[in-house]
Amino acid sequence: MAYRSVRVNPGEGGWGKGLIIAPHDHKAKVVSVTGGGIHPVAQRIAELTGAVAVDGFRTQVPKEEMCCVVVNCGGTARIGVYPRMGVLTIDVIPSGPSGPLAQYIKETNFVSGVRPETVELTTDATDTQAESRPGVADSTPNQVPANPFNAGNSTDRSFFLKLSGVMGYIVGTLYQSGREAVDMIIRNILPFMAFVSLLIGFVVYTGLGHDLATVVAPLGGTVWGLALIVIVGTFPLFSPMLGPGAVVAQIVGVFVGTEIAAGVIPPQYALPALFAIDGQVGCDFIPVAMALGEATVETTEVGVPAVLFSRQVTGVVAVVLAWLASFGLYSTAHIK
Amino acid sequence: MLHVIDWLGSHFFGLFQAGGTQFVGLVTGIVPILVVLLTFMYSVVRFIGQERVNRAILYSAKVSILRYTLMPILALLLLANPMAYTFGRFLPEHQKPAFYDAAVSFCHPVTSFFPYANAGEIFVWLGIADGITKLHMSIAPLAVRYFLLGIVIILIRGLLTERITVYLMNRKSTQGQPSKIQTEAL
Repeated sequence: MAYRSVRVNPGEGGWGKGLIIAPHDHKAKVVSVTGGGIHPVAQRIAELTGAVAVDGFRTQVPKEEMCCVVVNCGGTARIGVYPRMGVLTIDVIPSGPSGPLAQYIKETNFVSGVRPETVELTTDATDTQAESRPGVADSTPNQVPANPFNAGNSTDRSFFLKLSGVMGYIVGTLYQSGREAVDMIIRNILPFMAFVSLLIGFVVYTGLGHDLATVVAPLGGTVWGLALIVIVGTFPLFSPMLGPGAVVAQIVGVFVGTEIAAGVIPPQYALPALFAIDGQVGCDFIPVAMALGEATVETTEVGVPAVLFSRQVTGVVAVVLAWLASFGLYSTAHIK
Repeated sequence: MLHVIDWLGSHFFGLFQAGGTQFVGLVTGIVPILVVLLTFMYSVVRFIGQERVNRAILYSAKVSILRYTLMPILALLLLANPMAYTFGRFLPEHQKPAFYDAAVSFCHPVTSFFPYANAGEIFVWLGIADGITKLHMSIAPLAVRYFLLGIVIILIRGLLTERITVYLMNRKSTQGQPSKIQTEAL
């Protein structure tokens, strides 16, 4: 079957220069890993190229068969997993390289902010580019200095040379770690702080916080309210949607923290609340994680419902256990 | 409508000032400790080396209690979210979903002591912990209980999810070919 190739351009606010998607016989699946269903962008790519759109949340596709993958990742996990595997990655959310795997995200394998309108058929002139599929993701591994302890050929080295080698290794490792730490802060933590500050600033300044408190207090300040939150959050239809990047859990976490500080929610409820807002953790990521664990297609098909059903039970169990474990927490003894 | 515009006019800067105050609070309160802590943790992982931790993880895969406690914790501490889930490849198929469930369920409790393992999603923990700090109370007892209870809960999740997986696999295989999953699991 003859396939056509398409050019996928970044949308508004998107990152990257655009990718050419050129399916061929053994690589003809457009995989949509967007929390269930085929995303319109995946649908459009499939229609234009003649490839098959596949719901990556329901079925497992070997990476060799993927001509590209469509994700909706705000910037932690999926955004980097597929570039790392060497699969062309199309993010429908305008995110840039971020997350622990940011180093694998390149203009040659990633484009973001994509909407169905930004996908177009290539003209014949650019078709030649279609051959330039990414090779092995050109990973530039962290430049960790070689461990001198393992270095052979050390017989003719003097003690001091060895010592300076060891010092160099230690200092180099610490320095590299520092670089990674600062990188993490700048790439992930500061942006989230900025966004949270705007949100909280708005809520506090407008007095919306007071209105919110009347809603949140019965939900966050009683075990029944927290149980209700987790039951809704782990409901198998919702849980995959609430998962991505833990953004929802993080925002709710900050709000609960604000209400604890304001005295609306008693401090000992922090413990059950931590589990209540996080019952859905990772439910969006099951098929991808199964692929990372090299699970078979059958396992993935069974694994998704298994985890989702299990959560429906263990989510509430976690909250109740946390509530029981919170007795005696923050009695006056812990006040500084 | 006019009121809204009026309100925005007089409160435009106040709004962002409030946001700015929040930002300064977060940056000065959290970032300095986090930078040093992250640097320390990243170096420790490098110094210990992947091989040694690998061996511990492979050992813990064989015992069901350790498989859903020690194994996911070590996997997260070594490879962090999301690469920790690659350790699922050392397990038989019917345990893979349960291992993932346990590992991913620990990826926020782990941040209370080891934020580097999932630094991009640290606000699930820090958001709530920050409220405790603002009440001038120590977050340490909360951190300890969150971490320990997290271990109990991932064990429950792992065991239950493994059961459900085996059940679903058997139900599926009765329609097709018989399989040995049941006997393997028991």
